[in-house]
Amino acid sequence: MISDLCKKMLSKSLWLFHTNCGACNGCDIEVIDVLTPYYDVERFGMKLVGSPRHADALVITGSVSRQVAPALKRLYEATPDPKVVIAVGTCAVGGNIWFDTYNILGGADKVVPVTVYIPGCPPRPEAIIYGAALALGMVPKKVKPQREQHVPRGFDLDAYIARWQDTPVVTR
Amino acid sequence: MFKAKLKEAIICFGAGRVTLKYPFEPSPVPPKFRGKIEFDARKCIACGGCANVCPPRCIVIEDMGEVAKITFNLDRCIQCARCYEVCPEKAIWPTDEFETATPDKSDLTSEMIVWMSSCQRCGRCFETDNAIDKFESKRWRGRGPGEANKHGIFPVKPPIDFTLPGSLVREPEGEQVQ
Amino acid sequence: MSPETLQKKFLKGLTEQFPDILGKLREYVPGQLIAVLSRDELPKVTKYAVNQLGARFVITVATDQRDKTGDFGISYILAFDEEKQFLVLHSNLPADDPRIESVTPDVPAANWAEREAYDMVGIVPEGHPDPRRLVLPDDFPAGIHPLRKEYEYNTRFPSEPQNAPPRMPPPEGSTVVPLGPFYPTLEEPAYFRLFLDGERVVGSDYRGFYNHRAVEKLGDSELNYNQVPFVAQQICGICGQVHSCAYVEAVERACEIETPMRAKYIRTILLELERIHSHLLWVGLAGHIIAFDTVLMQLWRIREPVMWLMERVTGNRKHYSSNLVGGVRFDITLEAAEDIRRVLDKVEEEFKAVVDAVLIDTSLMARLKDVGILTEENARALGAVGPTARGSNVAIDCRVDHPYAAYDQLDVQKQVQDGCDCWARTLVRLYEVFESIRLVRKALDQMPGGPIMAKIDGSLPADRIGLCSVEAARGESHHYVRTGDNNRPYRWRLRAPTYPNLQAVGCMIQGVNLADVPICIGSYDPCFSCTERVETLDVNTNEIRVYTREELQELSRRKTLG
Repeated sequence: MISDLCKKMLSKSLWLFHTNCGACNGCDIEVIDVLTPYYDVERFGMKLVGSPRHADALVITGSVSRQVAPALKRLYEATPDPKVVIAVGTCAVGGNIWFDTYNILGGADKVVPVTVYIPGCPPRPEAIIYGAALALGMVPKKVKPQREQHVPRGFDLDAYIARWQDTPVVTR
Repeated sequence: MFKAKLKEAIICFGAGRVTLKYPFEPSPVPPKFRGKIEFDARKCIACGGCANVCPPRCIVIEDMGEVAKITFNLDRCIQCARCYEVCPEKAIWPTDEFETATPDKSDLTSEMIVWMSSCQRCGRCFETDNAIDKFESKRWRGRGPGEANKHGIFPVKPPIDFTLPGSLVREPEGEQVQ
Repeated sequence: MSPETLQKKFLKGLTEQFPDILGKLREYVPGQLIAVLSRDELPKVTKYAVNQLGARFVITVATDQRDKTGDFGISYILAFDEEKQFLVLHSNLPADDPRIESVTPDVPAANWAEREAYDMVGIVPEGHPDPRRLVLPDDFPAGIHPLRKEYEYNTRFPSEPQNAPPRMPPPEGSTVVPLGPFYPTLEEPAYFRLFLDGERVVGSDYRGFYNHRAVEKLGDSELNYNQVPFVAQQICGICGQVHSCAYVEAVERACEIETPMRAKYIRTILLELERIHSHLLWVGLAGHIIAFDTVLMQLWRIREPVMWLMERVTGNRKHYSSNLVGGVRFDITLEAAEDIRRVLDKVEEEFKAVVDAVLIDTSLMARLKDVGILTEENARALGAVGPTARGSNVAIDCRVDHPYAAYDQLDVQKQVQDGCDCWARTLVRLYEVFESIRLVRKALDQMPGGPIMAKIDGSLPADRIGLCSVEAARGESHHYVRTGDNNRPYRWRLRAPTYPNLQAVGCMIQGVNLADVPICIGSYDPCFSCTERVETLDVNTNEIRVYTREELQELSRRKTLG
């Protein structure tokens, strides 16, 4: 019971440490934006802190360049457990346009384990609030992958794809 | 000094309470908003127009003869809606959905399998007025490492290894002072 | 060459000193002169043009053109702002010996550009005073220059940590204060080492380029003309429209595409709205740095309706994705124009109240006046741009000097201040917001009807050169495009406004107090998004002290209180 009570009492005040790992600034400004009057996440007890050692959550923006990766790793180690890592923006989630270039590792999860991904370029401030709430388990997940097939009835798709496994597939 | 502070106080009080009630009330998006993309396999003719113009190459089409498998790597979608703009059948469109946060990255990969041989609508496959967007610029990005630039169809190489080289993670080093 | 160009003053000065240059000058695009010079001539002409004729050094473009002509190319781009002219000095360097005499000792603004030319293409600037690695990461293998055509854009290069660039030794008797890499006053993670004597800054060393994302390589090798605008807009989250606009205008100029006037007006309106929200953001953050959080909260409250407006007009709060080569993707309808006018009226009214209060606030002046002095000579020598330069009485504004989009029809007033300090730079930005509001209204009134996209049939011609400078909120953002085959750029070079301004920061923070460093770095409008961590090492006791962001701000705040 006590643990339930603790969970309820402590689950809200999330202290965030925000790092820019090669982002364009868009997401960083949206992260600051949720602190300003119109969105004001401080009413949920969330605030930005100045040191990873004070933080419960690491907010990562940017697609993680080679130069910044060691620093990010050290930041992650400096954050006390238990910790939440929130990847904000398409860069931190999947690497954006430069996902495969020579100087980019392509997303925060290539360096540190990520708890919640918030895609968007940049995500709306509402989406960031929603993602933070999701990290705390306060709201249900809404997104699900869309998988559609349009093949004639009776066509054995699995067998057809299995036959194509060995032949080189062409992409467009 | 006092006058300035008085003016600032008036600004602050004059604004009143502005905070939005977002998590407790929905926050509608404007009509033009470009959210998560959705698609319809019944309309798609797998012409490849969207894959051709997609700047982060988040749409990849694998041509398997009678079927085409189209993968949408929405984890790197930049929501430019170029795919919607060029699609001749309007089989792909941006939705209003912006609450796409997820703990599982695989939620952000959608796919669609389209039957190719039955497509009888040829003649109007991906046609655009803009010469830059025409077919000739297709199939470029994403070739394997070391492979020469070329037009035309190329085999897919194994995905590139994105893991962090071990030596990248260095021990912290102190500042050297002479 | 057109007769008007021949009359220009700089050309007379140039031909007096170098009589045979006239035959080498070509003008393919109005306002852009290109001269192909020999390797020995190029540095001489550059130095003479900058130091004697008052040219502003813009950028160096190094090109690997071995697959076309078998050699490397290097272009020095100079701007004559008063005469609305760009001058490209180009030289071809043999593939086995790509050396050129460095101009940095005489033209300090070329410092980073030449270092970058070595890092990315491998052109050796001989006699460069500080030839350390600039762009590539610390552990990047030596001898690999990723912009050369033999390297694929997605090669994973091995890690060689021994290649980290050496750090600058601090002056005798000074304390070293590292700032960063996660530090709030820059748009990217950056690493400053400040050399302190007591509380005074006596020198600094900079190691940046933490978010080098291979943008140019991607544009050079992979993407077609219509995909690059989207890469360009992702370069910066605040001035994304600026970069994509500069890129498409450069291509349009190179390929002589007639962009419809309405498209140009739409670009202008979006650019000015972007400047408004960027300046509001900056004033708020400047208030935050000097512990005046009321300004932060109120300014960002005023700014938020502009962001919603952008979302309604373009579909996204940032990264409007509006530009393509030849035009724009969305129209601004009559309702949208009404919407813009309504929001701007409100913003103007509220911002006017803030400005009235801020201009007489002596506590604010005490922190900003006579802090971070950048003299006019230094601003010119280091090539500072934008409000940083205009705050130092250097009247350059690309909207007037090198008009693009529809600015030649809008009669832009330059906002110039001669205070040379942080306060002057603040004033420039405050007045520019009103100017931008005026420009948007005027553009909405004047906007003609018609199509928003030019007709493009057939491939765009190869091997043309287009230049475009666009005035971002922070200064001039310059794009150079050399067109190539297969509807792809052959070389795309861009220079963000922070690039020259950052080189000026070393000069700006010379002699200020440690507590004033954040506002000095902040005053040229980088971004304060990441949180800082300052570590000092006391030489006498060898004790390491870590200043957190709060403590540094406390230092800064205590100074405000007296």
